[in-house]
Amino acid sequence: MDSRGTARRYAVVSGKGGVGKTMIAANVAAALAEAGERVLVIDADLGLANLDVILGLNPAHNLYDLLTGNRGIAEVLVSTPAGFDLIPAGSGGRESTRLTPDLAASLESLLEELDRRYDVILFDAGAGIGETVLAVAGLAHQVLLVATPEATSLMDAYATLKILATRHGRRQFSLVVNQADPSKAAQSGGAVAAHLQQVISRFLEADVGASVRLELLGAIPSDPAVARSINRRLLLADVAPDAQSTLSVSRIARQLQSPAVADRA
Amino acid sequence: MGNGAGRFRPEGLDLTSAIRILQNAGRVDPTRFGTNRTEQLQALIDALCDLSVHDGLTGLVNATFFQAALTSELDRCFRTGRSCGLLMLDLDHFKSVNDTYGHHVGDFVLQSVAAQLRRSLRSMDTASRIGGEEFAVILPECSAEYALRAATRIHAAVNPLVLSAGAETLRITASAGLVWTEPKINPDPAVLIAAADEELYRAKRSGRKRLCHPPISQMQVTSEERAALALLRHQEDSHG
Repeated sequence: MDSRGTARRYAVVSGKGGVGKTMIAANVAAALAEAGERVLVIDADLGLANLDVILGLNPAHNLYDLLTGNRGIAEVLVSTPAGFDLIPAGSGGRESTRLTPDLAASLESLLEELDRRYDVILFDAGAGIGETVLAVAGLAHQVLLVATPEATSLMDAYATLKILATRHGRRQFSLVVNQADPSKAAQSGGAVAAHLQQVISRFLEADVGASVRLELLGAIPSDPAVARSINRRLLLADVAPDAQSTLSVSRIARQLQSPAVADRA
Repeated sequence: MGNGAGRFRPEGLDLTSAIRILQNAGRVDPTRFGTNRTEQLQALIDALCDLSVHDGLTGLVNATFFQAALTSELDRCFRTGRSCGLLMLDLDHFKSVNDTYGHHVGDFVLQSVAAQLRRSLRSMDTASRIGGEEFAVILPECSAEYALRAATRIHAAVNPLVLSAGAETLRITASAGLVWTEPKINPDPAVLIAAADEELYRAKRSGRKRLCHPPISQMQVTSEERAALALLRHQEDSHG
């Protein structure tokens, strides 16, 4: 196997905050690790990071320390009980809220090294469509767009998708619908994906002069188990292994799993 | 002179009397009160044109002209590849001003708001009184960021507006909604107006006195796309 650039890189983005992006990143990463993949999560939500909080960790150093050269990889990498490694973003540091072009370049060269060590690198990008999110999405092979069926979330998801399509040439997106309600016609994962694809086909494709595809990667139903797992700082699979939301997360992870790793496991 | 009460009946009114009435109402320049019929007709035409475009109370352009101006401005922006902002303002609790102090005070408030708006506009902006206490401002040739900056300034000029009317001090506030177009996309004026109205309604609902606009994160989503996203949801909801 080629030792260079073997990791599959996914960026989890959302546009709007509070739609479950970090919860999904953590649980999908754990499911992939469980399936035998070597998984690294990079929390790129600089300034507002909470992946370490979700996992109940209290890391000493963070991505910013790594990118500025203040710390080495070994000092920043955290092995989580969930089975994946984490580079935390750290919160609160005023200077560390922006991924400047210098830091983005530093991240890119760092990835060459990390690509060799992992099968999957999953970025938890911040909310909104600031330069950090765009830079992170640019480094990923696949963008996982998280949205809820709520109107403002759809608008934000569409805005994110549009900017990545028009300014960054991305033509393919994977949608994860969180807080889906399959019993309501407009709130099932399929309906939300179809909505967005219709608007994309009608407006965005004309703008970029190319086909832009949004595939539904999965839908996670509204489920009290999610809030319970967050409150207890545990993974969904640990709190409610048989809950609908847990099963949905596993299905998403299975779709992201490479056939090679699935065979190995 | 009756103000709005009683219909103006032109039958039997000669040209000289018509011009005199318009002149008394401040609608015809007295120096143009010619004796020659052609001059008189021209003065009358000018006065009527002026009346057809402006709102008599505030001197801002009226709703009809606003519609026409918005349509042509959007066409122009489309040709030049610029974007255009549309700001809607509505005075808060205006009915109670009329009810409490009388319509003459209400009229004075509307005139003061209009004067204040005019002062805060850029030279290319067009302010209009489009309804009772509702105003609209076309902000041509500005990006979303500049539209927001201009709208914030205009809104701040009338929010609050403190006026003395006799012994009373009135504190007028306004709610506002802002939307913008995307360059290279030709929007339907009606869709843009509906989107601005929706933002204005949001401002009213969320406590008044504020300016609402689509989130900065959605700056590149056009009002057409927003409408399509909302429409699809609506259709699905009504099926389900």
